[in-house]
Amino acid sequence: MPRATIHHPMNHIVLPSQIHGARLLPFLALLGRPLSEGDVTVDFSKLRRVVPAAIVSLAASVHLWERQRRQVHFSGVHECEILGYLQRMDFFKACGVEMQESFQRWESKGRFVPVCMVTQPIDEMGADVAGCLAPGGEDYEHPMSGLFDTIAYVLTEVGNNIRQHSGGVGYAAAQVNRQEGMIKMALADNGMGILKSFQSVEAPWSMSTTHAEAIAKALEPRISCKAGEPNEGVGLTLVGEMVSIMRGWLLVVSGNGVLISRRDGSRTLEELPEGAFYQGTLVAMSFPETAASHYADHLRKAKIKSGLLHPGSGRAILEP
Amino acid sequence: MSNTHTVSLAEDCGSFLADGATALEYRHRAIDPYLSFCEKVTLDFSGVRTANSSFMNALVSGLLENHGEVVLKKLVFKGCKPALAVLVESAIELGIRKSGGRITA
Repeated sequence: MPRATIHHPMNHIVLPSQIHGARLLPFLALLGRPLSEGDVTVDFSKLRRVVPAAIVSLAASVHLWERQRRQVHFSGVHECEILGYLQRMDFFKACGVEMQESFQRWESKGRFVPVCMVTQPIDEMGADVAGCLAPGGEDYEHPMSGLFDTIAYVLTEVGNNIRQHSGGVGYAAAQVNRQEGMIKMALADNGMGILKSFQSVEAPWSMSTTHAEAIAKALEPRISCKAGEPNEGVGLTLVGEMVSIMRGWLLVVSGNGVLISRRDGSRTLEELPEGAFYQGTLVAMSFPETAASHYADHLRKAKIKSGLLHPGSGRAILEP
Repeated sequence: MSNTHTVSLAEDCGSFLADGATALEYRHRAIDPYLSFCEKVTLDFSGVRTANSSFMNALVSGLLENHGEVVLKKLVFKGCKPALAVLVESAIELGIRKSGGRITA
């Protein structure tokens, strides 16, 4: 267990009690505030409720601080009311901290996906996560197959972006809220962020734009940070469209930029509060479990809406 | 040598296709070389459970970009589930756009 040492007040991060919904952005601002030199302490004592987006962004930040050769200390862990949940979500394991568990682990299938690093072969990760959130959906005839496909699609496209563009380490986690009938998924990395990724390939427009505008640009079709094969710049575009078609909610945070796409279809660009800067990119979403069952139809609509497919233009010779 | 060539995506790449780099390497190795002398090249997706745009675009759109639109007369997409068919059609549109309507092989 890391030591509980407080060094500099700026480097002492007290996690708030609730990190979900509208409280997610202030939390990201807390993670992204400027730090003094030296170690970082994360205080878990007040934490009561947290969503996957917060867990993966915290894991990515811990990894970033360690990469900056800071020691990261976790304090108040045993006072944390949701210690068991954080352990079941493998948060501490993802941060390289071994802890004793005072509970019996139960089957996570159909309930949640513990934090995993986006480093394994992306197809395997997609199959694992989709199989965990939509058990049985591996079978094409199963009622969960549409949900399985949707999760696999979204996760692998965002995961590909992390692996190909971020230059950092990414984490993914997800949860099913059966009461609300919602799927919550999040992927966060601690890499260069979307704007810098565009600038690294010298996209001319990217030299004089904001982080928020760069996020919006990444959601446009055929805008890639690495032009040419195998990047066609449609991954995040289609993820955004599919979430929108399912009347879901999408959040993309990168640098100080924030894009929120709401269930009513409205989309806003803003900046993180308090001048904060999130090092890397967070993509979080939630969508109704039932809406995801019409995967092929949603994919087709998303392609059409993005201008990537024109109805009636089929040219392929398809055989059964 | 037969003038038809069939590749099984499920056997060669697996039932879950999500990595564009894998698709690109596979296309260069198992499909591109056969297009110049085969009359028909069948991409058999039987047994493929699901795929994403990254994989399908890297696999299909580059074929049109490199060989022109005429390659569509040679290509057969077999055993595609509805979502795979959407991905194939979209990748073809992308390839046509990138090839600039080039006709020659």
